[in-house]
Parts: sequence; C-alpha cells; structure tokens
Amino acid sequence: MLILKMLARHGQLHGYEIANAIQQVSDEVLQVEEGSLYPALQRMLLKGWVTAEWGVTAGNRRARYYRPTAAGHKQLLAEVEQYQRVNGAIHKILRAV
Amino acid sequence: MIRMKELWRRLRYRFLGARFDHDLEEEMRLHVDLRAADGQAAGLAADAAQAAARRQFGNATQVQEKSREAWGWTRIDSWRQDVRYGLRTLAANPGFTATAVLSLALGIGANTAIFSILNAVLLRSLPVEDPQGLVQIRMGAEGDDELTNPIWEQVRDRQTAFSGALAYAPDRFDMADGGESHNATGLWVSGDFFRVLGVPAVAGRVFTREEDRRGTAPLAVISYSFWKRNFDGNAGAIGKTVRLNRHTFEVVGVTPPWFRGLDRDWGFDVAIPIACEPILHAERSSLDERAAWWLRILGRVPEGESLEQARERMRALAPEIFRATVPGIFPVDEQRNYLKNSFFLKPVATGFSEVGAQYRTALYTLMAIVGVVLLIACANIANLLLARAGARQREFSVRMAIGAGRARVIRQLMTESLLLAGFGTAAGLLLAGWGGRLLVHFLSTQRHPLDIDLSLDPRVLAFTIGAALVTAVLFGLAPALRATRVELNQVMKEHTRTPARSGRFNLGKALVAGQVALSLVLLVAAGLFLGTLRNLLAVDAGFTRHNILIIAANVEQAGIPAAKRAGAYREISDRLRALPGVASAASSVLTPISPEGWAQMVRPEGWVSKSPGEALLFLNRVSPGYFATMRTPLLLGRDFGDGDGMKARKAIIVNESAARQFFGAANPIGKTIGMDKDEYQIIGVVKDTKYNRINENGRNIGYLAAGQDAEAPPQLRFTLRADVPVETLIPAARAAIGEVNRGISLEFHNLETQVSESLLQPRAVALLSAVFGLLALLLAMVGLYGITSYTVTRRKGEVAIRMALGAPRDAVVWLMLRDVAVLLAVGVAMGLAASLAAGRLVTSLLFGVRPRDPAQLLGAAAILAVATAVAAYVPARRAARLDPMAALREE
Repeated sequence: MLILKMLARHGQLHGYEIANAIQQVSDEVLQVEEGSLYPALQRMLLKGWVTAEWGVTAGNRRARYYRPTAAGHKQLLAEVEQYQRVNGAIHKILRAV
Repeated sequence: MIRMKELWRRLRYRFLGARFDHDLEEEMRLHVDLRAADGQAAGLAADAAQAAARRQFGNATQVQEKSREAWGWTRIDSWRQDVRYGLRTLAANPGFTATAVLSLALGIGANTAIFSILNAVLLRSLPVEDPQGLVQIRMGAEGDDELTNPIWEQVRDRQTAFSGALAYAPDRFDMADGGESHNATGLWVSGDFFRVLGVPAVAGRVFTREEDRRGTAPLAVISYSFWKRNFDGNAGAIGKTVRLNRHTFEVVGVTPPWFRGLDRDWGFDVAIPIACEPILHAERSSLDERAAWWLRILGRVPEGESLEQARERMRALAPEIFRATVPGIFPVDEQRNYLKNSFFLKPVATGFSEVGAQYRTALYTLMAIVGVVLLIACANIANLLLARAGARQREFSVRMAIGAGRARVIRQLMTESLLLAGFGTAAGLLLAGWGGRLLVHFLSTQRHPLDIDLSLDPRVLAFTIGAALVTAVLFGLAPALRATRVELNQVMKEHTRTPARSGRFNLGKALVAGQVALSLVLLVAAGLFLGTLRNLLAVDAGFTRHNILIIAANVEQAGIPAAKRAGAYREISDRLRALPGVASAASSVLTPISPEGWAQMVRPEGWVSKSPGEALLFLNRVSPGYFATMRTPLLLGRDFGDGDGMKARKAIIVNESAARQFFGAANPIGKTIGMDKDEYQIIGVVKDTKYNRINENGRNIGYLAAGQDAEAPPQLRFTLRADVPVETLIPAARAAIGEVNRGISLEFHNLETQVSESLLQPRAVALLSAVFGLLALLLAMVGLYGITSYTVTRRKGEVAIRMALGAPRDAVVWLMLRDVAVLLAVGVAMGLAASLAAGRLVTSLLFGVRPRDPAQLLGAAAILAVATAVAAYVPARRAARLDPMAALREE
C-alpha cells in the first residue's frame, strides 16, 4: 500500500527512490530492511498493479522505474479504504476502553 | 482475464528467467550503491558507507530468492525436485520397487477389469440421445419384459404419454442358405427406432415410419462393424443385399460405430423392420398374434415431464389398450385377468444386459474380493515402507536438521508413494484391458458369444485414478507421518539399533493382523465358492452328459410342407442311427439345460391342486429310445414304442416327482392326466432330470410321444450317443442330413459343453475367488515373513545374550514366534467375525454349502494359520542359528 501510495504521488520512481520516499514521508518511523522492497515490487509486477521500464538516473545509471497502472490505482483505493475501516475500528475499541 | 495476464507474465518469467534475475540484481546493486553514495555524502568513509548500505539492505540473496518465489514457479520446481529424487530413491531399491509396483498392478488391474465389466453391463448409460428419458413399458405383476405386437401397435397409435416410442426384439438370422447355420445378430425394430434414439446413419439412411407398415419391402440397416466386416466399409454397400433366413434384404443404411443396439452383452449386425416379420415367418406370423410375447416396448418421457406424469397417462390408456388386445385363445378367467393388467414404466438408461441381471451379485462380490486384495497389497506396501522408513531415519533426521520442514519431508515421501501408485496404475491398466477381455471370453458361451464393449470411458478412468490416489494415501501417509516424527537429537546422536519407539512397530503389527483377517475372509469365500462348484458338478442331472451330440435341425426354410415333415424327420433319424460311431439316436423337441421350456396346467386323475402352481407340468416331446440314449433310467412301466402313433391312445411318461406329487404311493401306471382337451394315459415313470438348470429344485416333468404330435414342429433336436469323440461325428451327420434335404438349417452342440457352460457363473466366481484367495494368502505370508525378519534383526543383541546365557534354540524360536502367534490369533478372530458378517451377502451364489458352516470356517483358518506360521518360522529359525559371539561383537 505504501509503495503504491508513493508511486501514485510521484508518478514514477525507481527502487531506491521508493525506499527513500517512504522513509522521508514517515519521518523515519517506518524503518524496514530495504531489501524487502524488491520481492514486494516483483509481486506487484506479477499482479499487474505496476509496470516497470528501464530509464536513466540523474547520476546517469540504468535504473528500473516503476509506474502504477489503472489496476494499481484501483488496488490502492481498495487497500486504503480497507485500512481505514480497520483503523477506525481499532480507534473505536481504544476509545471505548 | 486478469488471471490469464498473470499466467502470461509467469510464463514469460519462466522462459526469460535469467534476464529477470539479472535485472533484479542490477537494480539492487544500484540501490546499495546509491545508499552508499548518500552515506559518503553524509561524511562516512567509502567502505563504511558501503557496509552500512548493505546492512540496511539486508540479505541480498534472500531477497532474490523471495523475489523469485513471487513469480511462483518454485513450487513446481521443488515438486520436480521431489519427483526426481523420488525416482532416484525408487531406482536405488529395485527389489522393493518391483514388489510394490507388481502388487499394485495386480490389485489395481483386477479392480479396473472387474469394474469395467460392471460399468459396461450395469452402470454405463446407453450412448443414445438423452438415455435418462428412456423407459420400458412392462405389464403385469411380474413386469413381463416382452409384449405382443398388437399391444405395440396400440401403444404406437395412441401414444400420448411419450415424445416418442419404439419397439424392438433381438433375434438371430441365418445368413447361410442351408446346411450349418451362419448366424448374424439381428434386431427387429420399429420404424421410429433409430429416430427416437437419436441414432443417425453414417452412410445411407435409417428407416422411416412408413417402412414399418404391413407389406413393406425387405430392407435392412446394418451396423458399422458388420459394414466393415462384410462390405469393407464401402459406401457402395447401400443398395446391396444381405441374405437372412433365405430372404434377400436391401441395405439402406449404416449406423455409427458407437451404436451397438440396446443390449449391452453383444452388438448387432443387421436391423430389419418389424413389419418384415411375415416375410421370414410366413406360416405363423406373430404380427397379429395376441399371445406371442416377443417385443420390448420403450418410450421417451417428454422433456420437462416427470416419470410419474408419463405413468399417469399410461395408466389412463391401459384399459383401452388391453380391451383391444385381449388374446382370444385364453380361457375366460384368464381373459378377465388380462383385462385387469396395468402398465408400469421402468427407466432403462443403461440398456438391457443378461450378464448384468445374471451376474449382478457375482460381479459385486468379485468387486469386493478384488477390493480386499488391493487393501491387502496396500498393507504390504505400507509395511515395506515402514521398514524402509526405519532404515532411512538418519536421512530424514539430517534433512530436518538442515532445515527441511516436516511437511516438506512428508511431501517428499508422499511423492514417492504417488510415483509407486502411478507406475502400479499404468501397469494395472494394461493388465485390466487384457484381464477384462479374458474374463468376457471366459463367460462367453457357444450359444451366446459375448461381445461387451469394455473401452475405457471417463467413469472407468476416474475409478482407476481414484483407486490409485486412495491406495497411495493408504499405504504412504501413515508411514510418512511415523517416519518424520523423530526427535532429532536422539537419532543424530546415537547409533540407534533399537529406536525403542514401540509406536511404529505397533502400526506394523496392526497392518499384519489386518492382512491376516482380510486374507481369511477371502479364503473362506474361496472355500464357499469352490464348495458350491463341487456340489454343482456332483449333481445327478438324471442323464449322461458325456458323448452326447445334439443336432438342432430347422426345416422351416427348407420348403418341406408341414404334412411331410414327420417323414423327413423319420428319415433323418434312420440315417443318423446308421452312422458309424453312433451308439443310439433319438429326437426331442427340447434338450435339457437350455433356456427354453414348455409347461402346461394339467388335471391328474383324482387329484385336486391346492395352488395353481402345483398343477404345472413341464413338458417335452420325445421319440422312442430317448431315455435309453440319454441314459435316464426307466423306473416303472415302458418306454414309448412305434405303437404309440396317432391312432393309439395318447400316452405320457412322467418323472418320479410328478408321480409322487399327483399319485403319492399309488402305482401311477394306467392313471390319466388331462391337458387341454385331451386325456393322456401314464405308461411309464422315469428318474428325475434337471430341466433348465443344474441347480434347480426337482420339477414335475411329463414326456409326450413324438408319434402322437398332430403336426410335426418346424424344429427338432436329434440326440446322438457316440462311441467316438462327438465332434468327429459332425461332418458325417451334416452329410447325412444334407442327403435328405440341403435346405435344412443345422446347429451342433455337445451336451457336455452345454452343461458346463450353464455352470459358467459359479465356475468363474469359484476360480477367481480361489486365485485371489491364494494371492491374498501369499501377500499375508510375505507380510508375516517381513515383520518376523524385522523383529529378528531388531532383537539380535537380546537373542545373542540369551543364547550366551544358555537359552535353548527352541526357546529362542518360540520367543520370536510369540508375537506372531498373538498377531495371528487376533487376525484370525477378526477374520472369522468378518466372514460371518459377509457370508450372508453371498447366499444367493451358494449351492449346497452354508456360509456359517463351522468346518468351512475352521478349514480356512487352519490353512491360513499353517501357511503364515511357516512364513514366520523361517526367519525365526534364523534367529536360533545365530552365532551369539559374532552377534555380540557386532553390537
């Protein structure tokens, strides 16, 4: 979801940029092993939520840029909604106690 | 749609895998490099920055692994690995593999063979349009199978209950123009027959309704196989002719290869319209005969209607139909009964099968027997696998120690089991095809050669694959579960000779006890069926079956006027009697142990029947010398003689049963028996003989004199008793009859063959149950041998110590056998209980033996006990021959 969100906001990013973007936006609260990003990207490619094409970075190196597809946008909306539902529920429970 | 795209991407990955891996690697390298560059920019040293970047990235190899997994072929990859590994393991143990595959092949092959026959005659739907909608119209309390043509015409012309109706009758047509018959399997069909069944013609056309009207031209539709056989599958066959019972029929069409008629036991060669019947039976056509029961009538329930609705409508039609078809020749009270009849409808989606009707119980019994054999084979393989699992324990421990999950190891073991089952099934299918044909051939008789379609259909295939999967789970899962329940450390640490986990061993014991029990059931069954066959073979039929040749001579098409038949028969008789090698000859209308019969209600002098069935007398009409030829003893009075002609008083000879029932202890000679309008005087009493079947109860039989028949029948049987092998008489007999008239149709039968073919079903059941019983016994012996050997190996050290301390050899043997004896006792007890329970189910297949006969049960138990004790004794004695010192040193 986070990856999709970042891609949706920036249009297209390569792996390193996604990792950085997530870190920055979350004020470095969400720190994961950066490597785990890549299996996730592969799965999303497979599901057809993102497409990838090779481009060149600012530093003039070959990099694979990911871009969300229509299906990816739909998936993002669905996941955000799902997340908010769960989150809302947890909120209610916490308030009730 | 999405799935398709996903699959496409996966496939691309599959074939371009290396490029994908390469891309991923490059991408990750970039990531780490950039991160390091950022670190450097933040003031770290180059190598420290690199290291930090790596740390933050995590395990690159694992990431790559996981990414690959995401593409999802890993499961198939690892499965392929399993198969490869499994094949290697199986190849490494050729002895084990061969034993397992062979026993599975036998088990699955036998199951598939029996099931394919069961399927063909009882389960498979007819390959016609909507077979579920087909119902047969039957009438009367007993649901008579065959009805009359007048009834059919009524049903056809008034039918509102069905969307289509048809009638047919199977028959045989002689394609030869005289001499020995060359029979074609024929069908009488109504005009709508093919149309209602939805059977098109592959060449030419099928009949139209108009072609089944009185006075139709002789036309024929032939079957695909007949077309291939007799016309080489040539389209020019249409318009050609076939000769049937001396008449020419024009071929108008050919049916598709999948249509074999409505009878499952044999296909058909030619079909001709019912309206052609007068052409073949000019003198005595059955078309308007209201008491000639020969047609099966079927209807198709209209789509969207229930069977019940069709039944209602037939019920409403019934009174009219019966009023229009009541047989005038019936006595008045029978006519009244006839009018009270009703129709009932029977679904016939699976067609008609005599084999199915006759062998139903036998087939299901055999199915159960081969199922049990398969179970025993499974138990054996499970035991072998258990033993092997013991030997492979270290292998499993190592694999689990380096991180294979238990599920993974179980999967590996199950793959091996499935491979075994797969090989067994493949071999079994081959065996089944061969075995099924063999069995059908075995059940074929000279009179009715069977031609059952045993081709594989989805149901048989599903059955076989299901059986394979079930067996794989049965024999594979338990050992796999047991084998992987290891405490790693213990096994790794020690050199474990005695795993001391009694649990697994108990499973093995339970398996062997189960095997013993199941084998006992099969042995008991084999004993019962063999006893049945022995009793049937020993039955005194009342006549000799050896050296008797029966010649069925049909003069119907020979152009002999009815008045001259008797003379022709007499001439044939004289010529046959004069043949060298013929000891005696006689003639009769019927011969014993055939499906035909003739019975009538009689009025014996001074006797009143208590129930209608009691007054029934089975009949035959015989020439003088018939009893002498058949060696049926004459007990009282005299045989027919030349004096018993048309002018003499009508005479009858009865059998003992009839004499006893009608006249008790009184002398029956000279008493009279009334039948129809005539009174017959009893001139003799003969010994009881079997009429239709060897296993029938005593029947009342009467014999009339051939010379007192008002009109000689169109067919007569000549019975010759020979001094030479009966088959050698055939050419001379054929020539002799040919001299009288070349046009007479002939069939030759050996009475011994006829009798033994009537016992085919008990013979087949006895033979197969004996074979499978022996197989089961063998498997149980192997099982016991295996488990005793295993015990001996496991307890070698203990035995050595005992022997070193002075235990005598006998004591050692007994020590080893004690466990086995317990197993055997438990198995036999369970087996006896199961046999008692199962015995009730097969009572209808038994003759002269009781399923609960203690001698039978104990006999089978004794055979089993001795055989298995021997199997266990061999390895136990090996224990006693042990050299204690060598064994202890090894320890």
